[in-house]
Amino acid sequence: MDNKRFEQLLLAVQKPGRYSGGEVNSIVKNKGDVDVRFAFCFPDTYEIGMSHLGMKILYSQFNKREDIWCERVFAPWIDFEKVMRENNIPLFGLESRDSIAEFDFIGFTMQYEMCYTNVLNMLDLAGLPLKSCDRNALSPIVVAGGPCACNPEPLADFIDLFFLGEGEEVDLEVIDLYKEVKKSGGSKQEFLCRAAKIEGVYVPSLYDVAYNEDGTVKSVTPSDGAPATVKKRIIKDMDSAYYPDKFVVPYIEIVHDRIVQEIFRGCIRGCRFCQAGYIYRPVREKSADTVNRQARDLCASSGYDEISMSSLSTSDYRELEPLLNKMLEWTEPNHISLALPSLRIDNFSDELLQKINHVRKSGLTFAPEAGTQRLRDVINKNITEEEILRTCRTAFAGGYTAVKLYFMLGLPTETDEDLKGIADLGQKIVNEFYALENRPRGKSVTVTISVATFVPKPFTPFEFEPQITKAEMERKQQYLRSCITTKKITLNWHDSSTSFLEGAFARGDRRMGKIIEAAYKKGCRFDGWSECFDLEKWLQAFEECGISPDFYSARKREFDEVNPWDHLDYGVTKRFLTAQNKLAHKAVTTPNCREKCAGCGADCYGEGVCYEKR
Amino acid sequence: MKNVRIFFTKSGRMKFVSHLDMNRFMSRALKRAEIPIWYTEGYNPHPYINFALPLSLGFEGRYEIMDIKTEDEIGFDEIFKRLSAVCPDGIKILSVSEPIDKTARIAFARFEIVFDTKSSVFFEHLQAFLDRESIVCTKTTKKGGSKEIDLAPKIRQKNISDNTLMLLLPAGPQENINPTLLLDAFFEQTDSEYVCYCVTRTEILDDGLNLFR
Repeated sequence: MDNKRFEQLLLAVQKPGRYSGGEVNSIVKNKGDVDVRFAFCFPDTYEIGMSHLGMKILYSQFNKREDIWCERVFAPWIDFEKVMRENNIPLFGLESRDSIAEFDFIGFTMQYEMCYTNVLNMLDLAGLPLKSCDRNALSPIVVAGGPCACNPEPLADFIDLFFLGEGEEVDLEVIDLYKEVKKSGGSKQEFLCRAAKIEGVYVPSLYDVAYNEDGTVKSVTPSDGAPATVKKRIIKDMDSAYYPDKFVVPYIEIVHDRIVQEIFRGCIRGCRFCQAGYIYRPVREKSADTVNRQARDLCASSGYDEISMSSLSTSDYRELEPLLNKMLEWTEPNHISLALPSLRIDNFSDELLQKINHVRKSGLTFAPEAGTQRLRDVINKNITEEEILRTCRTAFAGGYTAVKLYFMLGLPTETDEDLKGIADLGQKIVNEFYALENRPRGKSVTVTISVATFVPKPFTPFEFEPQITKAEMERKQQYLRSCITTKKITLNWHDSSTSFLEGAFARGDRRMGKIIEAAYKKGCRFDGWSECFDLEKWLQAFEECGISPDFYSARKREFDEVNPWDHLDYGVTKRFLTAQNKLAHKAVTTPNCREKCAGCGADCYGEGVCYEKR
Repeated sequence: MKNVRIFFTKSGRMKFVSHLDMNRFMSRALKRAEIPIWYTEGYNPHPYINFALPLSLGFEGRYEIMDIKTEDEIGFDEIFKRLSAVCPDGIKILSVSEPIDKTARIAFARFEIVFDTKSSVFFEHLQAFLDRESIVCTKTTKKGGSKEIDLAPKIRQKNISDNTLMLLLPAGPQENINPTLLLDAFFEQTDSEYVCYCVTRTEILDDGLNLFR
């Protein structure tokens, strides 16, 4: 399509900046000069995808190589999808505007389950068959990675190859292998069989899944020399690991429109509901010098005036105070603000509060996750009510008047008393504010309680647990609402229908593929967006395929059941997860990695917190 | 503190950057260029940046104007050099100088509209339309309502040559006529089939039709 016509069409849709490309620091190469073209696809809108750190790292790292040209691709919003289909515009790379069907690789990053239909839609918009077995040519190879790859089975029919774990090294190894196979005129099958021998690569078509009569998995059998278990990859040394010195700077406002500076990977805490806390183990830190240098380079090359520290639990970073001191030296005179998300209540010091006060004052957000001490012990959220109240006191005395608290509903062993505990804790925080002599005068306090529905995830101690049913979710929400009696507390929650579906995807097996395809064909896409989500269509898809979503989400799984992801090794052993599950039911906590090693198995990588001097 | 006026062009993929987004874009560009920009004082300090005349989304601009304030020590040449080095394709810095005219004096703008057709019949229709004694169309007002206006007397100059229409229209704080308004009316009120076109604002002028400086 000629450029003029294309640009005219762009002007007829919302936010043409999502599709126009040409951003500062985006990379344009001559396609004749490269051997491999890689379409890095984020299966959601531009604003969300552009905020994702993993994409920034890999985009920059791939493009550093002269023989690779990596371009960005996002899911077109429904208005532009309509324009594309009406005008036969195939899905294109933002940099070249070439159809991605011409590319060597189409790579998806799978950050959350609710984007699965977008993956199918993007393949379809590219003009490609949805199923891996219907795409016979060597290229494009369709690959995927990201946290959802830890249970890739629901997408096994569509994706040729999954990357497990961190991509910086394994992605390039696979690209190099591809170059070799392409040069020698090899087939897709040859490439996939050879790729499966690279650590961290999972080729689902090389594994045969057998089922028991009750529908559970009986066995997973590899073929063509593929390994029986596939182990995730990690980057061992964070200081020497690749980190971009440039970010693509968007023109339209995106969700996280700032420098994202990673400080460490993994989390020492081991909260039992948190998948990220297990699949990114072991904890590996960057040194404060590295962080400081990288953030400074990124500011200089992007012109951003805000930096956000990125990790799963920022206050667990051992060099946090020295780091802030180093950074404030140059951020303050240059009008650059610092944000510290993901702070924990139990190690949030007055000094730290002073430092944050120094740069930016916004609301405080904490995640107690459960309303009673008993339930917090079950989930291993090792914080006490006194710590929560003390932190709020400190914050109020420091001038804050708004506190936001995150909770989960539907946790294993939860009773109505635990729900009432959420409301009670909110009330105690309100009381704490008014009891304070030196509280901000003339101001009222707002406590926002945000409640998400718990979804059991693979590779957590709760991978065996049933998810509560949709009806029960709604009953619990109503009950919690009835417990809140003051207007100082605002209650928000997520839609229970999406949590319910997320539960089925998260622990689904290969048979989920036909359900996703059926739902997609009924028109489902952007399922994470309430204006697009249509539960009815999903329920119809399940019914037509003869599978109940409850089979995946609402069923208690025995410890010896073969889970659909058991042939994947994320470093954390099933034996450990089983033991943790038993401790959870006894409300016994496990100390964090720095206090005492719990023996999860992640020490097999030979790096990180498992080998820190204590 | 020093007032600085920057003249630039906006073209290519940059035409999809809206007026609001331009502000953010330029503040980042100035930061990348390490220009010692002057920050507003007050509760939430931000760089002082002001665009003389907003440019519609989708238009190219050959004579765009941005005013900034800098700390005293930096020269115009240095600003020109540093800013040019950090701007992407689509933004070209033309010159940097001291502001001469007050932005309140802006009164007109010239536009160049290139149509994607060579049909002489099309341009005959267009000429006939522009020559009408009255071209009534509906304009949405700032308050969200709509009112009817006659565009014919607003068109100060019009000239078609080859596939290009040149227009001189009121622009600025007093009155603004967007050429899209005229073109929409043309496609709506005549039998002419829709033709793709590109709009470029070529000049910004004062009330005496002198180039705004």
